[in-house]
Amino acid sequence: MTMTPAKVPRELDSPLDGGVGESRRRPDGTLKVTGEFAYSSDLWLEGMLWGVTLRSPHPRARIRSIDVSEALAHPGVEAVLTHEDVPGFKFYGLEHKDQPVLAIDQVRYQGEPVALVAADHPEVARRAAAKIKVDYEVLTPITDARRAAFDPDCEKVHEDGNVVRHQPVIFGGDVAEARAGADVIVSETFEVGIQDQAFLGPESGLAVPGEDGGVDLYVATQWMHSDLWQIAPCLGLPEEKVRMTMAGVGGAFGGREDLSMQIHAAMLAMRTGKPVKIVYNREESFFGHVHRHPARMRYEYGATRDGKLVFAEAEIILDGGAYASSTPNVVGNAASLGVGPYKIPSIRVDAYGVYTNNPPCGAMRGFGAVQACFAYESMMDRMAAALGLDPVTFRQINAAHPGDALATGQVLEHMAPLAEMLGRLKAMPMPPERDAAGHDLRELPGGVSNTTHGEGVRRGVGYGVGIKNICFSEGFDDYSTARVRLSIIGGEPTVLVHTSAAEVGQGLVTLKAQIARSELGVRRVTIAPADNQVGSAGSSSASRQSYMTGGAVKVACEAVRERMFKLFEERLGRPPASLAEAVEHLPEVLGDEVIDETREFHHHRTERMDPVTGQANSHTQLAICVHRAVVDVDVELGLVKVVELAAVQDVGKIMNPLSLEGQIHGGTAQGLGLALMEEIVVADGKVRNPSFTDYLIPTILDMPPMRLDILEYADPRAPYGLRGAGEPPTLSSTPAIVAAIRDASGLALTRVPVRPEHIAGSS
Amino acid sequence: MRPFAYRRPADARAAVEAALDAPRAMYLGGGTNLVDLMRLGVAEPDLLVDVAGLPYDTIRETGDGGLEIGGAVRNSDLAAHPAVRRDRPMLAQALLSAASGQIRNAATVAGNLLQRTRCAYFQDVSKPCNKRIPGSGCPAIEGDHYNLAILGHSAHCVATHPSDMAVALTAFGAAVHVEGPGGRREIGMPGLHRLPGDRPEVDTVLDPGDLITGLTVRPLPFAARSRYRKVRERASFAFALVSVAAALDVEDGTVRDCRVALGGVAHAPWRAERLEEALRGRPATEGSYAEAADAELDLAEPLRDNAYKIPLARKVIVRTLAELGG
Ligand SMILES: Cc1cc2nc3c(=O)[nH]c(=O)nc-3n(C[C@H](O)[C@H](O)[C@H](O)COP(=O)(O)OP(=O)(O)OC[C@H]3O[C@@H](n4cnc5c(N)ncnc54)[C@H](O)[C@@H]3O)c2cc1C
Ligand code: SF4
Repeated sequence: MTMTPAKVPRELDSPLDGGVGESRRRPDGTLKVTGEFAYSSDLWLEGMLWGVTLRSPHPRARIRSIDVSEALAHPGVEAVLTHEDVPGFKFYGLEHKDQPVLAIDQVRYQGEPVALVAADHPEVARRAAAKIKVDYEVLTPITDARRAAFDPDCEKVHEDGNVVRHQPVIFGGDVAEARAGADVIVSETFEVGIQDQAFLGPESGLAVPGEDGGVDLYVATQWMHSDLWQIAPCLGLPEEKVRMTMAGVGGAFGGREDLSMQIHAAMLAMRTGKPVKIVYNREESFFGHVHRHPARMRYEYGATRDGKLVFAEAEIILDGGAYASSTPNVVGNAASLGVGPYKIPSIRVDAYGVYTNNPPCGAMRGFGAVQACFAYESMMDRMAAALGLDPVTFRQINAAHPGDALATGQVLEHMAPLAEMLGRLKAMPMPPERDAAGHDLRELPGGVSNTTHGEGVRRGVGYGVGIKNICFSEGFDDYSTARVRLSIIGGEPTVLVHTSAAEVGQGLVTLKAQIARSELGVRRVTIAPADNQVGSAGSSSASRQSYMTGGAVKVACEAVRERMFKLFEERLGRPPASLAEAVEHLPEVLGDEVIDETREFHHHRTERMDPVTGQANSHTQLAICVHRAVVDVDVELGLVKVVELAAVQDVGKIMNPLSLEGQIHGGTAQGLGLALMEEIVVADGKVRNPSFTDYLIPTILDMPPMRLDILEYADPRAPYGLRGAGEPPTLSSTPAIVAAIRDASGLALTRVPVRPEHIAGSS
Repeated sequence: MRPFAYRRPADARAAVEAALDAPRAMYLGGGTNLVDLMRLGVAEPDLLVDVAGLPYDTIRETGDGGLEIGGAVRNSDLAAHPAVRRDRPMLAQALLSAASGQIRNAATVAGNLLQRTRCAYFQDVSKPCNKRIPGSGCPAIEGDHYNLAILGHSAHCVATHPSDMAVALTAFGAAVHVEGPGGRREIGMPGLHRLPGDRPEVDTVLDPGDLITGLTVRPLPFAARSRYRKVRERASFAFALVSVAAALDVEDGTVRDCRVALGGVAHAPWRAERLEEALRGRPATEGSYAEAADAELDLAEPLRDNAYKIPLARKVIVRTLAELGG
């Protein structure tokens, strides 16, 4: 790892180990590796019931009647509930409350929850659920997103029309005029299949009825308060009667932003007066959360012969499936970041989010920026080839730099210049040529399947650039809350950090402790369990928690430090000479007293996108990652071995090198999955592969070693100058890998995932 | 999952008798396929007769260079046996290319042979499927079939058999030992698995209550020169799109004998007899391999979306033979 010096000086020189900037071991790491970590599916209470969800087998149907009598009579069953039993408001949703808690008179996707059963054993509950008689009038599903959006004769999924959001972006001069001035024009239609978050811990949790008529919920989620704001109205309870505690989260990647079993378990618990646990199995999990939007994208670019882009035009159609979820914001990202970090004088983007009867889609790592990135980077390669230019040079010529505007008019600030990042990437050493003799099978396409010993194998190299917004955008007043408490326990200064932020595996618990150590100079830091007894921390998404909750912990620590210094002065009659001195005298200065401060941290305001032109400073922070992929392709059998992935990423400030590298490796692997294998196959609105036997995710044999070059161009508005880092690598790895396969095979490859049949079938 | 009874008999005879006690009795090997299908509601046995612990769990080398393999031998153990690794690499390679280490440790040889198709419609009880519900129709023919059969399919079913091991055993012409209600018998491979015809619900020629107790792999001296190659969508832990098991006997640049079987292309592991015939006595060159492959693949009748399997199979066959003959 090479580093350029951080532009923000560290404010305090902490003498302690374990502060900001160090690779600290994660407190949950060993437990997770040894299988001792308690996930939400491990929750257990004596005498608890098991809840099961009956789901629609049809993507679209009217419900004529639901007969629960036989299920209710089943021995061991304590409750069977339908939409009629929802105690409060019957709909929920992240942005539009369009999703019924349980289906009302119709179902709009395969797997939509229709009824709930609670019984003394999960198998009893399942059998009883099978006895619920639902009389469906099956209708033809609406599955073509383009038709749903544009054909006025197409039936509607919801009464108010099939377009959830249309966001245009119009920048610079007239596209038609620019087209006339272009020497070279290229156009293409791209497709991205449905990717799943494929987290390993299925949706699960426990609801315990409270004596006050409220409920205690132990759930694995990304944003406890957003859950709460949706759950409480549906349960007909005031928010203070819904007490939420974070249970062990087994991965999220966006798939836990929407509710799954939360309201259901609470309804069953409130009805039966007993604790109720719900655990989805793997198959149900595929129906229990939203996926990444599949996309169909039509692009046209024009350039002059000397390699300058003159216009870009794009139509991006994102299939949001049956309910809105976060589709509006996904569309916002696709539109605003739709042509990437390039300087283009005339831009027209139209991004649409559409309702269909396909599986609901919402948040997934990269959030709306992933799909467009595959398209615009493929276009950059096309155009470079049409102009006879090297793909890196062509990108450098057109790169937007600090001071340049994106398609929305937002000016890039405080970040590494893209041309330099690309230069560094290209200068990185290449992996060695394939050694014809004595090679390890695992290093060849097909791996241990023994498909080749080098015959038919061609090497290819490809590049990808991606830009992602960090934190929430479009005018959302985002904040996080932290409570920091300093006291003397057993003669030793101890800090307790309490937030409601979700640790979803990204390492936030480690980081919060590092920040507290650096800011307060105290060795012993405890992280309180996340619950809603402290204010909202916002979601563990949008690469925002280091920025937002890290920022909140930092400002709360600053407030504690100020009081600590003041107390020192009061008691000792002089200010402390240093933080270390203040901490050293803390036991006598503080005694039995406690310093307890809660702070909110807000980022600077952003603006809504103009509905007609899309122009706005809509994003809080922007982050770029660039990838180089080197692949060996068995062009005869269609098998791909990614030999190496190299990445350059600007993170502002390296808070924890080990965690950071983990994020870049992981994001890159998820991009590799999208490039080569991950797809939920849907036909006629029905999912074909709801299992990990049939939905393929990369294994360690598919993921190559990585070469990283991490830059620190500090953003002065962000705590420590940091830049969110979790998502950008997910964007650029996919187009880089596909570009490398194109380089090796000479094929056009306009759709991801690229499967063996797409390569082998065409030679 | 439906309720079921569970029995663990002491020997093969007792197992067969136990299985006759219930109308929907099934044998349970490692359970790696059957239990999944029970969870999905595809298999609904009323009695499980656990045969994974029966005493036929050894591998024995016969005096003449053959192998006797017990039906309860674990896939991992068979793959690791020196007589398999040394003398029959294609069998070891086929086994090791399948599933994961954990699954191979649990899976039995008999269970592997009788594992059921991965056709997505077969596994989804909300869909029609002739194999699951005879006469309900085959949605794969018009629907999603990019990974289904190009050879030997019928208008009633286009599924493929998923086993890798069975492809290698078919190339060897292994014999399957069966203990059934009517006594013992032997079934040669190919011959255990059926083509779908108009009865796709029947995977094999076994009768109800038939128990697989073991296999004989007769000596095939040139099998030390054999290979299994498998094309799949990720580097490990995935089923075959197309696979080839081949053994080649070349003398003075001429193919004296060969054994070739294909996987991922048909309802049964597919012995490429036409290919073998076309190759015997021909010069060991890529040209002959390609011609011989075409002799077999001329029989192929691809569906709308799986024609890519023909060139894919041809290339893997030619490559595998070229490696063995080269
Ligand atoms: C994730 C995953 C990936 C896989 N990938 C592959 C792969 O790539 N290639 C591959 O070849 N396989 C693969 N498999 C399948 C695996 O090889 C089979 O599940 C396994 O071999 C079955 O053996 P078992 O002993 O567990 O059989 P079981 O599941 O116990 O039984 C399977 C069938 O055989 C019957 N049966 C069992 N024993 C006998 C007997 N003695 N006599 C008569 N009938 C019997 C059972 O009644 C049942 O119908 C995969 C499986 C999984 C779960
Ligand atoms: S191919 Fe066979 S298994 Fe698949 S749906 Fe058709 S009948 Fe069923």
